[in-house]
Amino acid sequence: MINFSNKIQDSPQPHGAGVNIFKVLGERCRLIVYTVFYFLYNLVMIVLQKYLKQSATYKIFSHLLVVLAGFLETLGQIAQLGFHTLKCVLKGEIDRKELIIQCDRFGVSSLPITLSIVGMTSIIVASQVANEMVKQGGGNFVGMLMTILIVREVGSIMSGFAITSMIGSSLASELATMRVTEQVDAIKVLDVDPVRYLFVPRVLSGAIMMPFVVILASVVGVILGAVTSDMFAGLSYRAYFDSAGLGLFMKDLGVCLLKSVVFGAAIALISCTCGYHASGGAKGVGLATTKAVVWSFISVVVLDMVFAILFFF
Amino acid sequence: MSIEVKNLVKSFDDKTVINDISFKVDDGEVLAIVGFSGSGKSTVLKLICGLIPFDNGEVITSEGDIAMVFQYSALFDSLDVADNIAFALKERKDLRNKYSENEIRKIVSEKLELVGLKGIESKFPSELSGGMQKRVSFARAIVTKPNTILYDEPTAGLDPMSSTLIEDYIVSLKHEINAASIVVTHQMSTITRTADRVIMLYDGKIVFEGTPAELLKQETPYTKQFVTASLEGPMQMQA
Repeated sequence: MINFSNKIQDSPQPHGAGVNIFKVLGERCRLIVYTVFYFLYNLVMIVLQKYLKQSATYKIFSHLLVVLAGFLETLGQIAQLGFHTLKCVLKGEIDRKELIIQCDRFGVSSLPITLSIVGMTSIIVASQVANEMVKQGGGNFVGMLMTILIVREVGSIMSGFAITSMIGSSLASELATMRVTEQVDAIKVLDVDPVRYLFVPRVLSGAIMMPFVVILASVVGVILGAVTSDMFAGLSYRAYFDSAGLGLFMKDLGVCLLKSVVFGAAIALISCTCGYHASGGAKGVGLATTKAVVWSFISVVVLDMVFAILFFF
Repeated sequence: MSIEVKNLVKSFDDKTVINDISFKVDDGEVLAIVGFSGSGKSTVLKLICGLIPFDNGEVITSEGDIAMVFQYSALFDSLDVADNIAFALKERKDLRNKYSENEIRKIVSEKLELVGLKGIESKFPSELSGGMQKRVSFARAIVTKPNTILYDEPTAGLDPMSSTLIEDYIVSLKHEINAASIVVTHQMSTITRTADRVIMLYDGKIVFEGTPAELLKQETPYTKQFVTASLEGPMQMQA
């Protein structure tokens, strides 16, 4: 119910002026209109609540509102914990030993799967594109096309997906297990900042290691593109690599690196946040992990779109 | 006095779990909070140590640390026993650079000896029994010399001998560090062997306050039902 509180304000009269009858009447009319509207509003709401509560439309809308509330809540949690993490980083509150462990986990252990996914994506794209381009007389531009595609998009976005599925899910389930087994509570009771201890090394390792992963994955992708073009379209390595550098500028490399830093930090932050706010037992851990993977995937695509609009429009 | 709780109120959604409760615990005193499952005992501990915010009331503690021994130990499973015990010394802002590695090692060894587990520094929590995990959790809790220790069902799920051992540690810690202790439990042996005073919670309110001997006298319907573990009485189990 809304509450319209209203009262007629007696505006100060200019010195010597009489009572403005039209103004008083206007205020009275406004009050009457507000009162009538207030009663009508409440009446409609009562009718809606009484009769429409069982309707499918009401249920769909109420469900959508619950989903929206959950979405905004998660967004708020990510922003709050992200800000806290950034504050700790700027203050230099970084556990270097833990940071090295997390960097190893983020960058080294994820490498095989990231390189495989980016490499195979390049093979798929090159096998589709190279043959057609050679047929149409554009064989000299296959290298350029593949390099632009991999450096600008495929390298970072596919690495983001690979890191999400491997590292993001593991971060979320780790923190969720710590939450449901009261380990996070124990950290708080021992008067240690859980964000400094849990978030800072993980988020920072994401931001530090992701560019290295993306660079390596992109190199592998470009090389496998050349091999595939040679195998499927008979395009020589020389022709491929001669055109590879044609469409690539420093801006592309810079944006690629910046994007990978943002992707790495975002995946780690989102995964840690979802795990940190887990509740319940084993089911809660599963739900938190799923949520972390879904949110990370979506965030990678949304951030990629933002970068495309900002730098390539 | 080490800890005082005044008119504490906590609700979850529409349900009031803690409804205007007040009590005091002095230094060197052990207060047992008893009651059936779901009566809000563990919530009181979480409110006192700040894990969950309360809606209304006051928690007044004298200066110093509050430590908590969790029901399921809550040891960090990725750290070994030594790192678990030394966690606060290594990670807490005000203690981080206070002790050298050698000093930390010595403190850890002392605390482990206090709980009768010398020489298990390099083991991981998963390699320990439930009773041993609980004792490591004790050692971790007292490493910062707290002046208030909260025990959340310290003997739940343990065999009678391990329970006796834990109860003895609670009493010895009381003398050792003169801390105010609150023990949440529903085990009679823990109440009679450790507590100086007992409060009983039901429906978020204190329905009995007295000594363990007074509890055993069963002079009120609440104490009678609790001690005899009867289903008949003023306290109804919640569905």
